[in-house]
Amino acid sequence: MPGPVNQAAVELYSAKAKPASIVVTTVKSLDEALEYAVKVCQDKEKAKPLLDVPGDARKTLAAPAVSDEVFAALAKKVEGKDMELVRSGLRDHLAGLDVGFSVADLAIAETATAVLECEKEDDRLAAMICETHVVALSKSKIVMTSYDAEPFLAKALSRERNFTAFISGPSRTADIERVLTLGVHGPLEMHVALVED
Amino acid sequence: MTDADAALKNMKGYRQSLKGALEDNFLRQTLDKFAVQYRANRTMIFADMNERELIAEIADAKDESMERLEELYEQFRAEAGKKGVIVHRAATAKEANDLICRIAKENNVRKIIKSKSMTAEEIHLNHALEADGLEVVETDLGEWIIQLRHEGPTHMVMPAIHLSRHQVADTFSEKTRTAQDSDISKLVKVARHQLRARFAEADMGISGANFALADTGTIGVCTNEGNGRLTTTLPRVHVAIAGIDKLAPNLHDALRIIRVLPRNATAQAITTYVSWITGATDNSVNPDRRKVFHVVFLDNGRSALLKDPKCREVLRCVRCGACANVCPVYRLVGGHRMGYVYIGAIGLILTYFFHGHDRAKNLVQNCIGCEACKDVCAAGIDLPGIIQEIRARLNEEQGSPATSSLLAAVLANRKLFHTLLRFGKWAQKPVQSGQFIRHLPEIFASGQGFRALPAISPKPFRSQFADLQVKADGSPRVGLFAGCAQDFVYPEHLRAAVRLLTAKGAAVEFPQGQSCCGLPVQMMGERAAAEKTAAGNVRAFEAAKVDYVATLCASCASHMKAHYLELTSSDPALRASAEKFLAKIVDLSSLLFNVLKFSADDFRNRGDKAAYHSPCHLCRGLGVVKEPRNLLNLAGQHVESPEEDVCCGFGGTYSLKFPEISSTLLAHKLDGVEASGAEYLVTDCPGCVMQLKGGEEKRGRKVKVEHMAEFLLRNLK
Ligand code: SF4
Ligand code: SF4
Repeated sequence: MPGPVNQAAVELYSAKAKPASIVVTTVKSLDEALEYAVKVCQDKEKAKPLLDVPGDARKTLAAPAVSDEVFAALAKKVEGKDMELVRSGLRDHLAGLDVGFSVADLAIAETATAVLECEKEDDRLAAMICETHVVALSKSKIVMTSYDAEPFLAKALSRERNFTAFISGPSRTADIERVLTLGVHGPLEMHVALVED
Repeated sequence: MTDADAALKNMKGYRQSLKGALEDNFLRQTLDKFAVQYRANRTMIFADMNERELIAEIADAKDESMERLEELYEQFRAEAGKKGVIVHRAATAKEANDLICRIAKENNVRKIIKSKSMTAEEIHLNHALEADGLEVVETDLGEWIIQLRHEGPTHMVMPAIHLSRHQVADTFSEKTRTAQDSDISKLVKVARHQLRARFAEADMGISGANFALADTGTIGVCTNEGNGRLTTTLPRVHVAIAGIDKLAPNLHDALRIIRVLPRNATAQAITTYVSWITGATDNSVNPDRRKVFHVVFLDNGRSALLKDPKCREVLRCVRCGACANVCPVYRLVGGHRMGYVYIGAIGLILTYFFHGHDRAKNLVQNCIGCEACKDVCAAGIDLPGIIQEIRARLNEEQGSPATSSLLAAVLANRKLFHTLLRFGKWAQKPVQSGQFIRHLPEIFASGQGFRALPAISPKPFRSQFADLQVKADGSPRVGLFAGCAQDFVYPEHLRAAVRLLTAKGAAVEFPQGQSCCGLPVQMMGERAAAEKTAAGNVRAFEAAKVDYVATLCASCASHMKAHYLELTSSDPALRASAEKFLAKIVDLSSLLFNVLKFSADDFRNRGDKAAYHSPCHLCRGLGVVKEPRNLLNLAGQHVESPEEDVCCGFGGTYSLKFPEISSTLLAHKLDGVEASGAEYLVTDCPGCVMQLKGGEEKRGRKVKVEHMAEFLLRNLK
């Protein structure tokens, strides 16, 4: 249920995303966000396999957490391109996944946090094992503070099974000589496509 | 038992290990750089929020949760249980280890991956699992590095902060049997590669939990690397281990803590990931696609702590690590010498409560009492106060060290103390050279060569006061609290103060019944003596009808303000009198600037360039920051020097116990001041004067050290 857009929240989100190493792009529709994800996958170097098994022959884009309709639209965009589109069985791609695509359920502007409800293993893995995580975020879903997100979160956490993730950038470490390094166990990059409507 | 462990248990070994750390150049440089950057970054990341208010809210909420702990536990168990989670409670470390080994066995587990958990470190879980034939791999980069090196963490948030990239490259080369480049981003890739395979094959994942939410049976885990997410997602079994103190009534409490925890830990607005896990979530390996999910709550002394009114606030701790980040002692010697498992101020404390009084007895001496930790603690815990309390308990349990009991006996008896001090001036004669003591008697001298110690004045201030012929009328009426250092060593500070006060028309009184404020015995944990000195001073000022009680010693003032109510609490009439007494206490700088309104017109400003050392007990103990600097600019020119508010290393008897650390802090301070181009170094505390002046004496008096009162008087019109 998209509510009205809180312009101040959108601006704060964009301002806070930058220091969190999040690449933000504005798109007109979810369809354009899909296009963006495909382009990111096309432009990137193929993921280097992390396990001693033969990696996938082609680049892989995973989008398990979208509706049939959206997945069909995405499949169309991938058609004819040198990449594979997967929707399930992500555990077979632990050696390396190029792009994971998710749709944010909510975002918290003050910390540039995308909130994803992802109880299904595949939904979670798409955001964890990819090299680049692309998130579509409707502007209307951005709230100012974590406290403003409470009504949504309360509902999510009260379910019988739930895994809700706050994601505020690519995976990072400073464990060696306190030097900030992106991409330890999770994504090396995080892109957010801000959707207008 | 490891060497480091053995070293904690005897003072000689402990000091040896401190010296070793002081000689580790890499460690020193790393921690130095970190300390400076951390402070700046922390200030920035808190800039747009009301830090104090938030911390106070967290403290209150935590206290309330702890009050309802049993209820919260039952609620969590019921809620999570309904959702298919198996909830356990382990009374001891051994019980927790046995339990987790049993869970592994029941689920035919062979390979385990772990994400970071200080609670697992607390109980040495890896040892127990390995002894049971299980393979355990840490997946947090820092934890993995130290696991490969068979070391313990040296920081709660950055466990491998003591290691250089070269050391890490060597460790990784050995592990992978391939030479590895010491480029950090390449090293991180090695870990990504090596550990992904471990994630793929693991049967069980063990994580910690930052929060356990009672109302929904949810755990919350904060990580940056993303290893926590894989650990809780891929394996078919997940065990989360958490202290029972991690229970919170609901999400709001957790969100509030998240506003401070990452800011305090690494000056980040939030950790990259926060995962909220409820119920037996989807897992494709298990036939029913349900994760086997156990939550283990560890007690290990926590419920006993809950019943301990003086120390229970320790349970508020959210493990942000900030108390180590700002600790001047941690900065010099690193983690392995500032805690057994937990590190920093909280490490000193938790070693006592979780890991044995034997391991804690030397550690808890190694706190200089600067209060830097208390000032930043995410949960508003009075860490130095609790460290003093532990010293007191150790004294009661193990008997006081001879020097400490002697001092206690002497300080508890004002007349004896003062007589001894008067005789001290004769005793020191053969060793005195001018204002300073030339050579200390052997028993005190070990390691004290870094500064000259002042001589006891031939005539204490208490015997000079009558000669000053201060007029009895005037306004406001100020009672001077001298404190021993100024009464017996630096009476000139007090004389200067009297002149400044009377210059503005104040009446000054000196109640003769006053004595030492009692801080030294409090620091050593001699409670009875601390109570006796407190009572004596409160009574001494009862008769004097003064508007203010002025101190020139920030340490006396902050000790009295912080502890006198408690120290007099056994006698309600005395406590009421103490309350009135404390309300009148003010430090000299604040009195001169705020009340007597000294202005530029009062001084002949010759532009004397003065650096300022901000005494721990003034800037943090009393929260006085602006007034001294304003005064310096009225009478001269304040020249900024680096880290004005970092401890000078005095810490009373601390500097006698740990001269190697005291002298290093002093050198750091004086290097900065000398480089600033100042001619004077001014401060507001006789202890700091003693340390700084003694240091400058040895360094050839490049800078002249003065108490604020002396500096102001010299420039008074
Ligand atoms: S009071 Fe100072 S020296 Fe003591 S633990 Fe805290 S920061 Fe460290
Ligand atoms: S004691 Fe305070 S500062 Fe230290 S780790 Fe705990 S919450 Fe953080």
